[in-house]
Amino acid sequence: MTRLIEARNVSKRFGATVAVDDVSFDVEKGRITGLIGPNGAGKTTLLKAVLGLTDCEGELSVLGLDPFRQRKELMQNICFIADVAVLPRWIRVSQLLDFIEATHPRFSRARAEELLAQTKVRSGAKVRELSKGMVTQLHLSIITAVDARLLVLDEPTIGLDIIFRKEFYANLLNDYFDEERTILITTHQVEEIENLLTHVMFINDGHIVLDAAMESLPGHFVELMTSGSNAEKARALRPLYERDVFGKKVMLFEDVPRTDLEGLGEMRTPAVADLFVAKVKGAPR
Amino acid sequence: MNIMVALLRREIWEHRSIYVVPAVIGLVVTLMSLTGQVVVSAFDQAVDLAVFGASNLGARERSAAITVLMTAISTPFILAMSVLSVFYLLDCLYAERKDRSILFWRSLPVTDAETVLSKLATALIVIPLVTFLLIVATTLLVLTISGIWLSLRGGSAAQLIWSAAPLAENWLAALVFLLALPLWLSPFAGWFLLVSSWTRRSPLLVAFLPLVVAPMLERILLGTSWLRDAIFVRSGSMPLFRGVDAAEYLFHDGDQLKLGESSATTLLPLVDLGKFFSSPALWAGFAICALLTAGAIYMRRYRDES
Repeated sequence: MTRLIEARNVSKRFGATVAVDDVSFDVEKGRITGLIGPNGAGKTTLLKAVLGLTDCEGELSVLGLDPFRQRKELMQNICFIADVAVLPRWIRVSQLLDFIEATHPRFSRARAEELLAQTKVRSGAKVRELSKGMVTQLHLSIITAVDARLLVLDEPTIGLDIIFRKEFYANLLNDYFDEERTILITTHQVEEIENLLTHVMFINDGHIVLDAAMESLPGHFVELMTSGSNAEKARALRPLYERDVFGKKVMLFEDVPRTDLEGLGEMRTPAVADLFVAKVKGAPR
Repeated sequence: MNIMVALLRREIWEHRSIYVVPAVIGLVVTLMSLTGQVVVSAFDQAVDLAVFGASNLGARERSAAITVLMTAISTPFILAMSVLSVFYLLDCLYAERKDRSILFWRSLPVTDAETVLSKLATALIVIPLVTFLLIVATTLLVLTISGIWLSLRGGSAAQLIWSAAPLAENWLAALVFLLALPLWLSPFAGWFLLVSSWTRRSPLLVAFLPLVVAPMLERILLGTSWLRDAIFVRSGSMPLFRGVDAAEYLFHDGDQLKLGESSATTLLPLVDLGKFFSSPALWAGFAICALLTAGAIYMRRYRDES
């Protein structure tokens, strides 16, 4: 199976508010997909549905399973870090490893201990005695030691300093990721994961506004830095979004051939963060 | 099975009070028996006389006396166990939501039913068994200390205590009682689990207020007292025992209490398991407990915290 997640017309309502509105997408094996959206856009709700933590309308299949009804089977093949704070504070590291070893058929304790040996996390320590960064290292070590096919990360590095964040993603790529594994990740700090991603999905107001491979972005999107009369000409080509930078205009175009923009200013492929802002703020709703 | 063992072990890790509380009580009881003996030792002659008198008692009277001592030792453990179980049940599904570790626990391949049932089993089986082990240890400790003390006063510990002590029978009776009590009160256990899985704050208040208010409302609105009986009479009337008469423990002979010829000297004859397990109220309680526990499983599964 190459399609790990198949979502067809998935919706989730909380009373009158629609958190996820008729969303369809696929995630294939070996991808690292960034799910990016502003607060309240529905990304966490969507991830929860994928993880079987909440039920939803529509058809959702993860690893061929119904996530909500077959959560136990699903969790043998999925790992997730929902937030850094979720490890229970009272537990000892050794107890945590004992418990996961007893409950998770795909957990390798030796691997977890090997990974933890590279950190300052000691097996006799309680989680409450560890710093926030160490707790994340612990959690990532555990998850890396599980032979899971899909890893879901929801804001995994929130509240961590830059060194831990860099380390986290380096470890994720070096120790966890291979072509058999798939990662779905949400974060606010898009810049930091931009180079990791193979795919991006933008979600806004419960809708998916972009679902594309990273390598396809330069073919569709171009950012133009321009000024003066050139700006007027460029504006006529209907940019998605326009902003001011040091007195110059920066415009972002979708599916406008680069040849049309030739001579109007400096062209480059936009950063994911800028693309995101353009898509969310500039696109007609 | 492996998963259930891991889950039960997890509960003991998290709720260390399961063994700390009975251990502390065991320590206090032991210290009390020590100080008691020191204080009593001040009455030199009287004590010597009493030890002498005890040596002349029949074996059955000595057994009965030790049964009284063992009952006295067990009582504080049983009271503590009841309080401990209530607090445990109210906390076990509430704390994991409060510190948000529920998201981590649910990321492991363990069903909500397995998790909730492990918490019920902790209250109904693990806590009573741990309490039982500490009762046994404390009894042995107190009897050993008393034996040493008796020997120092010139009595014979072997004769006065060890040959007479009906340890096995009384421990068996205690074990049966410790396991039967939570079964009898299981509808309350189910209720506490449900409250723990559902309330947003102060589980203690949310759990007990309805137990008090609902019977009052029933009385005012319907004029009946079915709930009052179900809640308050139940908690004090476990059908495990034969009447005390059945065992003919003691009878009055003039103004003296005497042990009858055929009367029991241990607690075991009091226990009537047939009566217990054939009580419709017990099975009705199981049914209510099952319903409320299913409710707690449902809450853990469907409740979306964020």
